[in-house]
Amino acid sequence: MIEFEHVRKRFGDHVVIDDLSLRVEDGEFFVLVGPSGSGKSTLLRTVNRLVHVDAGCVRVDGEDVATRNVETLRRGIGYAIQSVGLFPHRTVAENIATVPRLLRWPEADIRARVDELIALLRLDGMAERYPHTLSGGQQQRVGVARALAARPRIVLMDEPFGALDPLTRESLQGSLKAIQRDMGTTILFVTHDMDEAFGLGDRVGLMLDGGLVQVGKPLELLHAPADERVRDFVGGTRARLRELAVRTVGENMRRGEQAEGEPVDAGTTLQEALGAMLTQGRDRLPVHEHGQAVGAIVLVDLVARGA
Amino acid sequence: MPVRVGSKADNEGAFLGQVILQVLRHEGVPAVDRTQLGPTSIVRRALLNGDLDVYPEYTGNAAFFFHRESDPSFRDAGKAYALAASLDLAANRLVWLTPAPADNHWAIGVRSDVAKREDLHTLRDLARWANGGGDVLLAGSAEFVESDAALPAFQSTYGFSLRGDQLLVLAGGDTSATIKAAAEGISGVNASMVYSTDGAIAITGLTVLADPAHVEMVYQPAPVFREEVLQRYPGVRAPLEAAFRPLTVDVLRRLNARTQIDGEEASKVAADYLRSEGLLK
Amino acid sequence: MIRRPNGMALPVLVLSIVGVIAACLPAFLRIAPNRLLTGEAFNPHAWPVLGGWLLVVVCSSVAFPGRRVLLLAIAWAGVVGLPLLAGADAHRILMHATPYTRVQAGAGFWLGWLAAALLLLDHLRGMHKAAQAGAWLAALAAVTLAFVAGAFDSLSLVREWQAQRAPFTAATGEHLRLAAITLVLALLIGAPLGWWAWRTRRGDGVLVGILAFLQTVPSLALFALLIAPFAWLAHAWPALGALGFGGTGAAPAVFALLLYALLPVVRYTVAGLDAVPGDAREAARGLGMSRAQLLWRVQLPLGWPVLLAGLRIVAVQTIGLAAVAALIGAGGLGRFVFLGIGQGAMDMVMLGTLAIIVMALAVDLLFQGLLALTERRA
Repeated sequence: MIEFEHVRKRFGDHVVIDDLSLRVEDGEFFVLVGPSGSGKSTLLRTVNRLVHVDAGCVRVDGEDVATRNVETLRRGIGYAIQSVGLFPHRTVAENIATVPRLLRWPEADIRARVDELIALLRLDGMAERYPHTLSGGQQQRVGVARALAARPRIVLMDEPFGALDPLTRESLQGSLKAIQRDMGTTILFVTHDMDEAFGLGDRVGLMLDGGLVQVGKPLELLHAPADERVRDFVGGTRARLRELAVRTVGENMRRGEQAEGEPVDAGTTLQEALGAMLTQGRDRLPVHEHGQAVGAIVLVDLVARGA
Repeated sequence: MPVRVGSKADNEGAFLGQVILQVLRHEGVPAVDRTQLGPTSIVRRALLNGDLDVYPEYTGNAAFFFHRESDPSFRDAGKAYALAASLDLAANRLVWLTPAPADNHWAIGVRSDVAKREDLHTLRDLARWANGGGDVLLAGSAEFVESDAALPAFQSTYGFSLRGDQLLVLAGGDTSATIKAAAEGISGVNASMVYSTDGAIAITGLTVLADPAHVEMVYQPAPVFREEVLQRYPGVRAPLEAAFRPLTVDVLRRLNARTQIDGEEASKVAADYLRSEGLLK
Repeated sequence: MIRRPNGMALPVLVLSIVGVIAACLPAFLRIAPNRLLTGEAFNPHAWPVLGGWLLVVVCSSVAFPGRRVLLLAIAWAGVVGLPLLAGADAHRILMHATPYTRVQAGAGFWLGWLAAALLLLDHLRGMHKAAQAGAWLAALAAVTLAFVAGAFDSLSLVREWQAQRAPFTAATGEHLRLAAITLVLALLIGAPLGWWAWRTRRGDGVLVGILAFLQTVPSLALFALLIAPFAWLAHAWPALGALGFGGTGAAPAVFALLLYALLPVVRYTVAGLDAVPGDAREAARGLGMSRAQLLWRVQLPLGWPVLLAGLRIVAVQTIGLAAVAALIGAGGLGRFVFLGIGQGAMDMVMLGTLAIIVMALAVDLLFQGLLALTERRA
């Protein structure tokens, strides 16, 4: 659990965070989204004290971070950044082992954990390679693995996928979401990409000019924007397209009906289902759940939805 | 603590330092070799600061240490030694032993063929030759040409004056460089500044002109001790003075030639000399 | 590198022309009546040596099979043969000369030998490491063997060395020791200072200002200023004095050399720390490394190659500068330079200077090896 209470921060004359309060629950995937310069990265960096707050306080699991030993605090919190920051003179395995080493885990435990993460993030065969021999996507996978290595209960991620191509980004987002759900990790994630925010976040906080304009589930921001600024930012007409990316086939199918064509899974998003319809040239497709046909998804329902 | 023996870094300094060092060791006094330490400014300061215990210094230099360049006493060998010794003992608790008879002062040497042709023996003869329109071309260091103790003093005393085009000034040049210029007749040079004990004089065929008016101060080398060290080893005074006593201009010139012309090592030349004088077995 | 159409590097042509000029110079050797006077020029082998160099000129402009091997052979023969030739000439001359006569290596010899050595260096560059080492070691072995056999004993430079054997060996040790102690202290003091300057971003301010000012103080003036405080220290702590610490000798010499070495060490430390990627540093801190862990695990390994490259320059500079240590009784090879200048004996000056150059080159080679090792590891 992370709590921000009346946090203020200024750099010189520029107010970066202006009296901000927020509570991120245990096991929650919370995304801070906003344009660059809105203060979201600074807010994230107050949690592991890379930035000191001028006023107010930041608490992790109920304890004010200002009272904690700074190295102990940081070793207990995962941290991944856009530029990755891998150590160029260390192998992939050594990079991943950074925090467990700092925490003086037994060597056998470190090796087991590194192997586990290499499998989890699909880095097989790369353990002994040096960072400069990896692609950008592979480097960021190592960065995420390094952030997760010591099984931190909280992970901070500052636009970790910002520099990657869309395909690589999507695949990494999928891996991260799955890992987070399995481990119950609390993640505070910063991005300026609305699609990424809505795709990943259990809750999303929209930051503008150092303050939180609206906090809520993705659909709440889409359906009930707090004001014009939020409406503009979530994207006007494109808001409906984003909604398709948030909702699943399961919520919108006609149960018990049948259809021709390649089936889609109940867990996929409506966006993917629409893509499948366009590819197959059909206006309805069968829906499967656990390999069983359970109903059909119909194009008119997607168009009519949310009216 | 052993006695630290220093010396200047020049040719003669290296030899005299070795003489002191080897005599001390022969007398059973533990001694450390710090010879060829550096230029006068460094060596003198080291002695004053108690970083050295003894080194050979020239009596005339005391005039500069105590800013008495115009004192006539420094133009008489006996008075120069007495004055240097008393001044340094009173001011710095330094003891000057009896110096060698050799007087190593600045002088002018001319090519022997020219000296013969023009019948030159003393600086008076040089003045006559120069004033009679002789083609003197003298090589010297900037210090020699400008210092009140050198050329200007010769000129005013003997009554001659060299024009700018009769001087070849080698800035920072040592006598070895100016002697070489005269010996090889570089740019028509036929006279050179010299030190009277220079080892290069004989072999390069220069005639050193005498200084009958004693324009130059007397520069006789003597071991200079810190008083407390000499008091600890009073027995070294006699053998050291015995080692310096035979050092006349001719002897010193010959010994300097061995290091300078033959390139022999100073310690070997010193050992040979002391052995020949029966001061070393 | 500019390459001619026929594939020979331009340096070969340049070096061969230098060689031709060297062969034509009148002074392959100089025969002096004694140690002080300048000798008369002597060049008995102008035609055969010129022929060798003209062959190199031809090789550099005309392509034919076996050209590389021929060039290699000529260069190697030059490196080994020219000294042997000079030594044999000197021996012959001295047999019928006065005992004071000196035979000195002249400008023609030095220039020609340098051209041959550079030609060999240039020619070996593209070849196998083993071939390179083999060619140089063979040349070194041949020259050393000839030296031990007395082939160069009649050359003035070698006679200087023979007259000063024991002091020369001692001075070489002193010189190395002075440079090594200075370098270690410069690293121990300069690296933390550099780290501090880098961290506080005062790199261009007070510290560098002071160090840059110290660089401009003439060494002799610095020595004169150091005698009193160092003598006082030795007096106040007799234990220091017993270690040889005092107003003259190695202590003030090392101190002065250290002052000259600190500025580059500080600068290269800052450059080394700047070479560490900012994101790696940010990640290291965010993951919970302490300042010391950041330094030892990230900044030092990543900045080390830059610092080492800097140390290489400082080492060579210090070996050169250590010559002035002779001015304050610390010995070293500079004593031959200053004594030689005082005696007007240029061969003695040359003896000290050559030894310093050889030492600097050897240390440079050592650091190159260290650098190559570091780079292979990274």
